[in-house]
Amino acid sequence: MLADGHIPEGDLCRSRTDADVGATLADVLARELTGYVVFEPQGSILLGDDERAVVTFEAGVPVLAYHPGSDAGGAAALDALTGELFHAELYELPASALAAAHRVDEFRVAPTAPARRLAGDDALVERTRAAAPDERVSEEDAPSAVEAFLADTEGIEAIREEARAEARSRAAEWGLTGQLDDSEEGH
Amino acid sequence: MVEAFAVASGKGGTGKTTSTLALGMALAERYDVTVIDADTGMANLLFHTGLDDADVTLHDLLLAERDVPVSAAVYDRFGMSVVPCGTSLTAFESADPGLLRDVVAELAADTDVLLLDSPAALGSKSAVLPIVLADRIVVVLQPTVPSLSDGLKVQEYARSYGTETAGVLFNRARPDEDVDAVADQAARYFGGTTLASVPESDAVRAARRAGEPLLAHAPGDPAADAFHEAAAALDVRAGDAAGVADRFRSAVVPDRP
Repeated sequence: MLADGHIPEGDLCRSRTDADVGATLADVLARELTGYVVFEPQGSILLGDDERAVVTFEAGVPVLAYHPGSDAGGAAALDALTGELFHAELYELPASALAAAHRVDEFRVAPTAPARRLAGDDALVERTRAAAPDERVSEEDAPSAVEAFLADTEGIEAIREEARAEARSRAAEWGLTGQLDDSEEGH
Repeated sequence: MVEAFAVASGKGGTGKTTSTLALGMALAERYDVTVIDADTGMANLLFHTGLDDADVTLHDLLLAERDVPVSAAVYDRFGMSVVPCGTSLTAFESADPGLLRDVVAELAADTDVLLLDSPAALGSKSAVLPIVLADRIVVVLQPTVPSLSDGLKVQEYARSYGTETAGVLFNRARPDEDVDAVADQAARYFGGTTLASVPESDAVRAARRAGEPLLAHAPGDPAADAFHEAAAALDVRAGDAAGVADRFRSAVVPDRP
């Protein structure tokens, strides 16, 4: 377990119930916390410890996420934190105590990923990006070519229209017109 | 009950055959599953199932005057019925893709789930037939621009023939790729559900070398877990086997151009 094995226990500096993830991330950023937050879904005492998730921070900026219950790390671990209220405990640690865990690449998340995916708060995303070290913003957080491609709705609609037209003309070529799902042709 | 899925990708290298067999094995825990290598021009399934030396293959069933029953090309492997395709170019050239519908119709009568491993191309009649014949498609994608673009094309082709998307499967995801974010964005354009994100795994290549499906070779691998998740997320619709068979038979697919 990453949380037990590689991250030593820190000093509890805040514990809140009914915490939403966005407010907690904002709090961590304002405090410039170096350490970690344990998120436990409300009511998970009945569910056991498996539902807890851990997010670590350097100077208030998220570094990695881990969900011991599913052994999921990185972006996948963030899924465990979607859309609920949590009991959140903030722990402080020296950066050196986190260094080993922070080298586990597959558990790392983009600095703004938790705010973007869990809080949906653009202002918080911007504040987190501004606080993140340059190399983390440029390496991990620039919109990827894939994201840019998928954000271009007009470009995608053009691809789809072209494919539809091509499918129709080829169907004619191959004698498959009768198979087309086309109400105009009385299919 | 029967539903026929074409497992399609548009682009090669997405791990379509691996995905077809992995979904097939996972679904075989709940259903009677038949997997057909419908990629008649670039057969691949036989190498993944230890059927390299299969005497009778789909090619033999696609001959105008075939002398073997469909059942001769059906092999019980890994809990599924597997219909491999041969690799001979001559056999491919003499095969009539239009006959695929008869073969599929016959197989559909006797199984719950049919998976058609479809060609990674849209440029010929034999390449599009699986998506014409299937009830729905499963699109195998990688989180890259070319793969997404080709996946969208396959989906539009399929929709043109009334074949909707049952789900998309993100395959061969590298640890540095935020597939969940890509999948969220892509969900706006693709039908069905996001079935799973399957991590890139060395076990896939090892399984291929061993001539076994991933789920048989490395059942505990994270990629195998993800395929199980995908199969669980796929809502197989109850259909009437006879109805499906009739539909395939009545499909007006004339002789090849």
